[in-house]
Amino acid sequence: MAGSMKAVKLRIKSVQSTMQITKAMQLVAASKLRKAKERADESKPYLETMLETLTDIANGNTDYRSIYTKPGENDKKWLYVVIAGDRGLAGGYNSNLFKFVEAEIKDKEDVTVLPIGKKSVEFFKHRNIPILTEEYAEVAKTTISDCFQIAKLICGSYGGGGFGHVFLCYTNFVSMLSQVPMSTSLLPLSDLSSDNKKSDGKPRDLILYEPNSETVFDAIVPEYLAGILYTSINISYASELAARRTAMEAATDNAEEMIETLSLYYNRARQASITQEITEIVAGAES
Amino acid sequence: MAATYHLQVVSLDGLEYEGEVQKILLRTIDGDVEILARHTNYCTAIGMGTAKVVLEDGKERKAACIGGMLSVMNGEVRVLPTTWEWSEDIDVERAKAAKAKAEERLKDKKLDNEARIRAEAKLYRALVRIGSSSGHDHLNDQ
Repeated sequence: MAGSMKAVKLRIKSVQSTMQITKAMQLVAASKLRKAKERADESKPYLETMLETLTDIANGNTDYRSIYTKPGENDKKWLYVVIAGDRGLAGGYNSNLFKFVEAEIKDKEDVTVLPIGKKSVEFFKHRNIPILTEEYAEVAKTTISDCFQIAKLICGSYGGGGFGHVFLCYTNFVSMLSQVPMSTSLLPLSDLSSDNKKSDGKPRDLILYEPNSETVFDAIVPEYLAGILYTSINISYASELAARRTAMEAATDNAEEMIETLSLYYNRARQASITQEITEIVAGAES
Repeated sequence: MAATYHLQVVSLDGLEYEGEVQKILLRTIDGDVEILARHTNYCTAIGMGTAKVVLEDGKERKAACIGGMLSVMNGEVRVLPTTWEWSEDIDVERAKAAKAKAEERLKDKKLDNEARIRAEAKLYRALVRIGSSSGHDHLNDQ
């Protein structure tokens, strides 16, 4: 009996120290989350309005002089920008996103990835999927000027024998408890169009570009990419922290529950050993 | 009363303005443009300069508006700048410090090309900010 008591006591201690860690992580995530959520909330309108505006433009566009509006000439070359976390222990945050990306790229032949976040780099390296650059491995430290650099890089490798399509995968922050992996097309803009086939036969509203579509898109596209990247990184980061907070909360609760059952065990064992001792003493006195 | 339209200004820092306006004047990469109600579908890239918004009641507001795009789709006007700061919110001291720093950097003759371009852009942005907040902007020079 004494042996099992000691084992239970050790186990309680180890669970307790784990709980301390998960509790601390939960608190850290919660306090970081407050700031991150603010930034995500600020970013959301830009991301949504930008995509909406460009979808409208893509729907109405009839001007295909700019390489950014032309439907892909290199239809088989895909670039995926995947924004994941820097660290694990965030519940299903990373694995959900990777599962989602896997499903997306499954039937595509020539896929290159631009990973953002350490976990993202590790995952695609492990999978032997070609990586464009590993420079942006830290999500939390990506600044707006980094986003402009990434945008420049994407623009440089897009079109003219490079990539024909550019996609972005990130995790949308729906609420504190729910984060959903999402993907959106970035380039060419015609990918954003909902009625690619012009099936309704309605005449399109012409759009006036000043000075001309090429110049306009050359100026807009890098900024649009940088803006979208920056905002979706903010949103993903908030998602990561929210996922971590929820996961750690669950872990702490579990640990508490475990400690409760274990202490019950321990007390029972202690009681049993006392009872046994008494019985032994009484039996010894009687004989 | 002048006809109005719905304007949305959304920058990276969130929704800056939403509501009915009479007109907006801003500097695009191709020069100054003023959008009135019932404008045709239109799309252009924004340069760097002071933007002037005339609200429904005729009141004017000014802002430093840098980068991004302007789109008019079916009467709906959206301005998506990289930065948009209402003139009353601009931190003039900070802009002046940025201006001084950029000027200092540009004095360096050995500066490589890319750094020079960046410093020049910084200087110009600072000038736009200072101009928009003090009222000495390009809109008054005309």
